[in-house]
Amino acid sequence: MAEALKRPGGELASRPLHFFWVVDCSGSMYGEKIGTVNHAIQSTIPEMVDAAKDNPNAQLLVRTLKFSTGATWVTPSPVNIEDFAWDDLDAGGVTDLGKAFEMLAAQLTIPPMTDRALPPVIVLLSDGQPTDDYKKSLDKLLHLPWGKKAVRIAISIGQDADDDVLQQFTGNRELVLQANNPQALVKMIKWASTAASLVSAPASRPKDMDVVPAGNNTPSATNAPLVLDMNNIPDPGAVGANDVW
Amino acid sequence: MDGQLKTGTFLTSESSNKYKVISLLGAGGQGEVYDVECDGKHYALKWYFKHMATKAQKEILDNLITKGAPDASFLWPQDLIFKGYGESFGYIMPLRPKNFKSIVDMMKRRAEPSFQTLCKAAYNLTNGYQKLHSRGYSYRDISFGNMFFDPDTGDVLICDNDNVSANGIDNSSVYGTPRFMAPEIVMGQAKPSRNTDLYSLAVLLFYMFMMGHPLEGKLESEIKCMDIHAMNKLYGKNPIFIYDPNDKSNRPVKGYQDNVIIFWELYPQVIRDLFTKSFTVGLTAPNKRVTEKEWLEAFANLLSGTMLCSRCGAEVFFDAQKHDNGVAQTCWNCKSVVPMPATLIVGKSRVLLQKDAKLYAHHIYGNFDMNTVVGSVVQNPTNPNLWGIRNESTENWTYIKPDGIQIPVAIGKSAAIVKDVRIDFGQMTGEFK
Repeated sequence: MAEALKRPGGELASRPLHFFWVVDCSGSMYGEKIGTVNHAIQSTIPEMVDAAKDNPNAQLLVRTLKFSTGATWVTPSPVNIEDFAWDDLDAGGVTDLGKAFEMLAAQLTIPPMTDRALPPVIVLLSDGQPTDDYKKSLDKLLHLPWGKKAVRIAISIGQDADDDVLQQFTGNRELVLQANNPQALVKMIKWASTAASLVSAPASRPKDMDVVPAGNNTPSATNAPLVLDMNNIPDPGAVGANDVW
Repeated sequence: MDGQLKTGTFLTSESSNKYKVISLLGAGGQGEVYDVECDGKHYALKWYFKHMATKAQKEILDNLITKGAPDASFLWPQDLIFKGYGESFGYIMPLRPKNFKSIVDMMKRRAEPSFQTLCKAAYNLTNGYQKLHSRGYSYRDISFGNMFFDPDTGDVLICDNDNVSANGIDNSSVYGTPRFMAPEIVMGQAKPSRNTDLYSLAVLLFYMFMMGHPLEGKLESEIKCMDIHAMNKLYGKNPIFIYDPNDKSNRPVKGYQDNVIIFWELYPQVIRDLFTKSFTVGLTAPNKRVTEKEWLEAFANLLSGTMLCSRCGAEVFFDAQKHDNGVAQTCWNCKSVVPMPATLIVGKSRVLLQKDAKLYAHHIYGNFDMNTVVGSVVQNPTNPNLWGIRNESTENWTYIKPDGIQIPVAIGKSAAIVKDVRIDFGQMTGEFK
């Protein structure tokens, strides 16, 4: 008798998950700050690869956008996490956050975005005040369907970051993570990188999360990686259970 | 990766064993898992994050360690490292051997079991949960992450048993995993229980057999953003089985859900019926869900009902319904007709009597033991065209010819496979067809 034939079919179907690192590269980031950011993000990449290997529901695609005087895609098109390598960023110039929002919005429009995906994850790192008019482009970003649905996390670096602006971006104070020293910055970057797995295949939901405010659970409060309860992330447009599209 | 415990640290357990921390293996939502060593043997240590190291968790573990594992397929807590409340603690369990792969590996086609091994894994998995439930426990979080299998043998290991607790007692910190949680949990109307375990088990089995999700059809394909709201609707508020015989609104869509379209027709009707019951009646009636015994009986028949297509080598499942309706068994790959071997029917079991086929204890005692061999299909040494079953059990059998003549089949002796002959196995009687 012939050797048994392989079972038919292919891999379990998955959806793309777009992950954006958006990094402030203005002059104030020069030196140790950008050095820490470069090192921390580069160090999380292998962990993101491992997490993606264990995630049957998502195809993790990563991109980097830097902004200072103007904004530039470091990775112009989405790259599979397995093929993604971190290119060190340099700092210098002003803080054109608005330009960054504008370029993000262009990428979150359909097309180039596909119409079926998991919620995108945008991680914004900044240490200062925007120097351009960011409001119009942020407004545009937040009114895009994919912009609205994106899980938006901000890492506020140092004392001079404008948390109010960052909160306008995240829509939620809890998702403006404070990084007032290099250790905290590393921790926040590491946590933010895990958001991808949590968005696509949320971990077993510890029931305590229903009552414990997210603030008690942020990495600064415990050693644990924050359990991001997706139920607790408010949508800016007051999204209800019927708002499925 | 840095963990909470440093390599080389010694930890003394409640049973006075000294464990040395070797390396961090991984981390999850509740804690970290380490490779630890004691007296030259390696174990796994789950070390909770401080805020998860609760009194309730400690009490669950104390109980599990005292009671012991339901069987060897559980990586069960066996020792505790505990200093006092307010500090982290952890438990010791057996270390998972490297040849065991996760269901995610199966979903990503990195582990490629044969159909026979897949059925064996499904059988062993279901048997494990059956034993757990029969002890009055519920598992609470059956999903991709907590079961491992050997792609060569179908042996399984069930891990993450630290949420296991008495059914109906709500002291565990886990509600389950999205896509696996029963609709009533997603809707916040129920807490994890034995009946919600049965739903999650059916989802996991569906993933294993069909490489897709039972509720992901047209409705899923139409959802653009698969966020928590979409998941709540699809898996909780408005769940519709993709092959619901009375509601065709959620059929799988080619291009999006190809696997289920390929696999659904490939299994016997009895398997389709069990999945249909699981995701139609079972969606809304938790106490009418398919029980482990129903699954086990079906899987036992799959295990004894696979034929190899002589033309292309594909494993083809014998479909009793086709047989009863006079429809030929055809190969799913090359579409050629697969000739039917002789069969032995004992109670609810049907065994295809082909070369190397085994008769297991379950077949003649109905005890769900599909490991103990009690008989083998053998060739007559003097006439190779004559096939028989050799008695490898511990009891004598009786061969009953159609004319009523009875011949004893002692242990080690073989009985010729002849149509309409019956064999009295002691507790049950089988008939050659």
